[in-house]
Amino acid sequence: LASLQMADPLTLFTSIGLSEQKAKETLKNDALCSALKDAIAQAQRVLGAAGVDKATGTLLYTMTSRLRDPKRLGFLTDHIAQRKICTELQLAAALEFVKSHPQDPINQQEFESLCGVGVVITPEQIEDKIYCTSDVCLYCDPVPSQVLHLLGPKTEADLEKKPKVTFHTAQHREIKIEGRSLMDELRGVALNFHKPGENYKTEGYVVTPKTMDLLKQHLEFTGGQIRTRFPPEPNGILHIGHAKAINFNFGYAKANDGICYLRYDDTNPEKEEEKYFTAIKDMVEWLGYKPYEITHASDNFQRLYDLAVDLIRRGHAYVCHQRGEELKGHNPPPSPWRERPAEESLVLFDRMRRGLFAEGEATVRMKIVMEDGKMDPVAYRIKYTAHHRTGDAWCIYPTYDYTHCLCDSIENITHSLCTKEFQARRSSYFWLCNALDVYCPVQWEYGRLNLTYTVVSKRKIIKLVEEGTVRDWDDPRLFTLTALRRRGFPSEAINNFCAKVGVTVAQATMEPHMLESCVRDVLNDHAPRAMAVLEPLKVTIANLPEGIRNDVRVPDFPANEFMGSHVVPFTRTIFIEQSDFREKGYKRLTPDQPVGLRHAGYVISVQKVIKDAQGRVVELEVHCCSSNEASEKPKAFIHWVSEPQKCEIRLYERLFLHKNPEDPSEVPGGFLSDINPNSLQVIDSALVDISVSKAKVFDKFQFERVGYFALDPDSTADKLVFNRTVTLKEDPGKM
Amino acid sequence: MGDPVAGYTSRIQQQELEIHSLTAELESLKNPQGLGLSSHLDGLREENAKLKYRLNVLKRSLQEERSQCSKTMMNINQRLQEIFGEAIREACPDLENPPLAVTPNQQAKFGDYQCNSAMAMAQMMKSKGLKVNPRQIAENIQQNIPDNELIEKTEIAGPGFINVHLKRSFVSKLLTNLLLNGVQPPSLESKKKVVVDFSSPNIAKEMHVGHLRSTIIGDSMCRLFEFLGYDVLRLNHVGDWGTQFGMLIAHLQDKFPNYLTVSPPIGDLQAFYKESKKRFDEEEDFKKRAYQCVVKLQSKDPAFIKGWNLICDVSRNEFQKVYNCLDIQIIERGESFYQEKMTAVVKEFEAKGLVEMDEGRKIVFAPGQQIPLTVVKSDGGYTYDTSDLAALRHRLFDEKADIIIYVTDSGQGTHFQVVFAAAQMIGWYDPNVTRVEHAGFGVVLGEDKKKFKTRSGDTVRLMDLLDEGLKRSMEKLKEKDRDKVLSTEDLTKAQRSVAFGCIKYADLSHNRINDYVFSFDKMLDDRGNTAAYLLYAFTRIRSIARLANIDEAALRKAAETTEVLLEHDKEWKLGKCLLRFPEILQKILDDLLLHTLCDYLYELATTFTEFYDSCYCIEKDRQTGEVVKVNMWRMLLCDATAAIMAKGFDILGINPVSRM
Repeated sequence: LASLQMADPLTLFTSIGLSEQKAKETLKNDALCSALKDAIAQAQRVLGAAGVDKATGTLLYTMTSRLRDPKRLGFLTDHIAQRKICTELQLAAALEFVKSHPQDPINQQEFESLCGVGVVITPEQIEDKIYCTSDVCLYCDPVPSQVLHLLGPKTEADLEKKPKVTFHTAQHREIKIEGRSLMDELRGVALNFHKPGENYKTEGYVVTPKTMDLLKQHLEFTGGQIRTRFPPEPNGILHIGHAKAINFNFGYAKANDGICYLRYDDTNPEKEEEKYFTAIKDMVEWLGYKPYEITHASDNFQRLYDLAVDLIRRGHAYVCHQRGEELKGHNPPPSPWRERPAEESLVLFDRMRRGLFAEGEATVRMKIVMEDGKMDPVAYRIKYTAHHRTGDAWCIYPTYDYTHCLCDSIENITHSLCTKEFQARRSSYFWLCNALDVYCPVQWEYGRLNLTYTVVSKRKIIKLVEEGTVRDWDDPRLFTLTALRRRGFPSEAINNFCAKVGVTVAQATMEPHMLESCVRDVLNDHAPRAMAVLEPLKVTIANLPEGIRNDVRVPDFPANEFMGSHVVPFTRTIFIEQSDFREKGYKRLTPDQPVGLRHAGYVISVQKVIKDAQGRVVELEVHCCSSNEASEKPKAFIHWVSEPQKCEIRLYERLFLHKNPEDPSEVPGGFLSDINPNSLQVIDSALVDISVSKAKVFDKFQFERVGYFALDPDSTADKLVFNRTVTLKEDPGKM
Repeated sequence: MGDPVAGYTSRIQQQELEIHSLTAELESLKNPQGLGLSSHLDGLREENAKLKYRLNVLKRSLQEERSQCSKTMMNINQRLQEIFGEAIREACPDLENPPLAVTPNQQAKFGDYQCNSAMAMAQMMKSKGLKVNPRQIAENIQQNIPDNELIEKTEIAGPGFINVHLKRSFVSKLLTNLLLNGVQPPSLESKKKVVVDFSSPNIAKEMHVGHLRSTIIGDSMCRLFEFLGYDVLRLNHVGDWGTQFGMLIAHLQDKFPNYLTVSPPIGDLQAFYKESKKRFDEEEDFKKRAYQCVVKLQSKDPAFIKGWNLICDVSRNEFQKVYNCLDIQIIERGESFYQEKMTAVVKEFEAKGLVEMDEGRKIVFAPGQQIPLTVVKSDGGYTYDTSDLAALRHRLFDEKADIIIYVTDSGQGTHFQVVFAAAQMIGWYDPNVTRVEHAGFGVVLGEDKKKFKTRSGDTVRLMDLLDEGLKRSMEKLKEKDRDKVLSTEDLTKAQRSVAFGCIKYADLSHNRINDYVFSFDKMLDDRGNTAAYLLYAFTRIRSIARLANIDEAALRKAAETTEVLLEHDKEWKLGKCLLRFPEILQKILDDLLLHTLCDYLYELATTFTEFYDSCYCIEKDRQTGEVVKVNMWRMLLCDATAAIMAKGFDILGINPVSRM
């Protein structure tokens, strides 16, 4: 016995039946290695050195590698060593049991009953049972009937094919255009999430002696409802990346009959402006969500202050006088103030609040080391700046690290969803709630959504605006949400795009054409048709009498005539695209080839080409006949306008030439050097049919054969301005 | 700490750099091109905004500290004076030392306090040739009142009175603090050392009513200083040295030759003194021996010291009886204590050339004083002047007193003025830093308005007077049938409380400067401004809670949870009256006139009666007498009143009893 214990871990692990490969892997994981050693030593005490056979050893290994709460190691080891747990299934049930009962004492009887301890089943019994249980059981060892009982009868949900959650990665990913709906996606992801009140079942969640009581109170308060929040800092405009956060938070709540708060994380007084608050709310609403309540981190300043006093009193935080510069860089020196008495810190904290220190002379720091090794993050700092909402009430302001989890706790958030960068702050999140004995929500991370060919950072957009490259934050070439709305992207399309990206842990880098494709899908169904001529060529129909004015009925959606129509005039003078006429070798209009006019029911043939002094075609004289009368069906139909309205049209292309304008290896000159000179083209005298004359800002149309357009807010009563949202088809050159 | 040359060099270098940058800035100012005139400007503006913000935070903290953080009671009047002082400075920055007058208002319709400075300011301006309407000044002051925590509103009335209305919530909060923290003194800038010289009878002589006044007034002053947090030294400057001791010891030797071994039974020191005095005046030989005894005593001959001590002890025992009755704590430090120090004082005056010879006497003239001090008599002996100078010096330099008060009859006023002037002249203290004051008082008169004497014309012995007081007090209690209600023990307590309380209160309730008429009938009257009335009122207030079965713990709990409502006029009036306590104490601290406190307690008791008559504290069922409803906030007002009265009694040295 002694020799085995003294033996090197590799020998020890192989002695219980682990393959050498597995044993070596285990050695790399210190925590697992030491847990397994403990488990083996304990099993040997029960069974004798030679008693740990391969079956037991495998169970021990599985148990140690899957057990999260080390204080249950001895308990489960005993059950395995005593052969009370002798199958993988029993072990799974046992692990589930300890996970669900994080607090002592364990009810032995309940445990044994649910884990099927002592149940022996003959192969015949299995045969009887095997076909009526869940498919999970097919892969199993002999199944104790109690376990079957535990699993319950087959439900409809079991029969339904479970949607497989696709885990996308940035490197190789596959977007299925015909994806599931957002709600399906969110319900799908929900499979991984804990149920409200069962926070302790989540990997890494820390259970304290108060946890179960707090969870009980939390459940009583929420009634088991899902509660999420979208917590932007009100210091900038939302962009496409935020759309994912909005969709995830609001969508997850909506899909599961929960509620979602819009919480402004306004702890930093220096950056906040009223316009950002309203813009954020507008965008959330534009995406189709209604916050259950709009809250502000600043609503809780007093509460947060009281909690900070409590935290200091509990010895978990202290007032520090290290300067900001001292803490910069790697391995800053630890604070010499860390161990000062709590009473002293309390007095000093009160002095901070009362203005007795200058900015930077004192901070409150929490006694915790973060995942990235950062020591004692700051909880409060002094800023002699008025706050947008609390006015001059405070001169100390809490930090994100301190505020975020406590606001989540105060609002009884069940799932605190955030992007993956915050993973490093997860342990401090749990730590702080537990240090104060307040309800601790679960933080779940998801991958950030990035888009190529653009920049989204506030600072960079400001630069673009300052340089005059773009007009403002909502310039349609940008990917802020306001810009996308102005360009005519329907919110539905953005939501669909988010659904397709998926709510996964991996970061997703997408190309704009994916988004544009979603836009086309929506606009195709929802943007009524109209006709516009961007570069007009005057056409006089010689065989129509002067003054004649026919009404032409144009369906709003040619694919479905029942969805309405509008009427445009047809007179002796019409305008067509210059590009629809060539003097020869062309499948549209040429002096030799007639062409059909869409919706009009006429075919025109050129009679005379009128040119100016430079030889440019300035007008055509044509002869028209009803398409019924035409000798043969024209090869092409072109759009046209008559008695049109003049309008300005803005055509957009990508703002940047390179995929990653911020990447210095791709664009050494910096993103400002990568501007596409053709990103904006303005046509100031395009002609559009009168059906759009009553259009309102952001109204969307398909100008037949040209693309999707939306009315720009720059429009006046005299002059309409249209932005091209997307072209009709994806431009293969842009791939 | 480094090379000083290097230090200076680097300082000069820094200054040169500064000069360079200023020169550069001047150049750029001459050439006003471009907007970046000063690159610092934005930074400085931002810093300025932050500093302003911080200033505001600090001001608010100060207010917060005043109203909440400290347990001390706020002096509302003083706070209003600070506020109006600031407003007046803002309103008339050019006026030097503008008058600042804030007083509580007696009539509710004019608000709670009023500021009357505008009229006096108009006068001041008029004398400078500026004619300004005081009402306009008042308006100007009103507009400049800084943000504060206690003023609800102000309005201008009459020629320029500014009436101040306090915030009810603020007053309520202060009352809650009072209930939670108990009666606490207003905050003290620094803990000062105070010496109070009082009582100070002469050994071998009887204490008389003059000493009684000094004892009562001095004790009360000490109690006030102690409550306010000062470090108080109570000194009994007894007359225990001088030629009379030669004659007393000579007589002692004759009458009780074995006094060194057997304690002589001197029951009546007064008679003993008279006998020796008679012999001194009549027997030349005895007189000679008496002088020899003085010399022996001064040379510290043990036999003579022993005799001296025996005589002093007899006196001390007599005095202590009085002190026990009146509950006086005092440290005896008589003239003998300063005996050695007097020589040094005379030398010091001589060394500074301040001593003049006058017919063999050494005298000192103090500036502005007609009468000189005699520091050494022609026979080489010292005088009261010498011992008082030595005592003052000791109190200033050894006791390090910041405040020294002498409580004696007004007749000694001139003497002390000369002593103080001489001490300032020699540079012992600066009156702007150290407060040395003679708190004089008038003589005690009999009911016939003549000097207080027995019917036989003798001075009244103090113990006889106190016994008479006890007798009268018991008569009064029996007259009211208290002997039938109270246990013997309680009755005796009440007797002493009433008797000594009344004697003290009668003395303290009159302006000490005036003569006062000693009348047992008046002081024991239970109507009017007497201790008897106040003691009865106090026990009644304390019984309110007891009768409603509300114990201390319940009141304490209520103080934490129940807001003190001040909606009824009488509640409001009582609440404000209670909170004037600190300003009353502050005033007494300035003028040492304790009758202000008596007047205040009387006002408080009558204000309470008004409140109690119009506001039900407990509502009872008319038939059954059962308590139907307890108006807890009013119970709290009762409690607060009792607390303030108790503290007032404590300062006056009156010991109230729970039942009487």
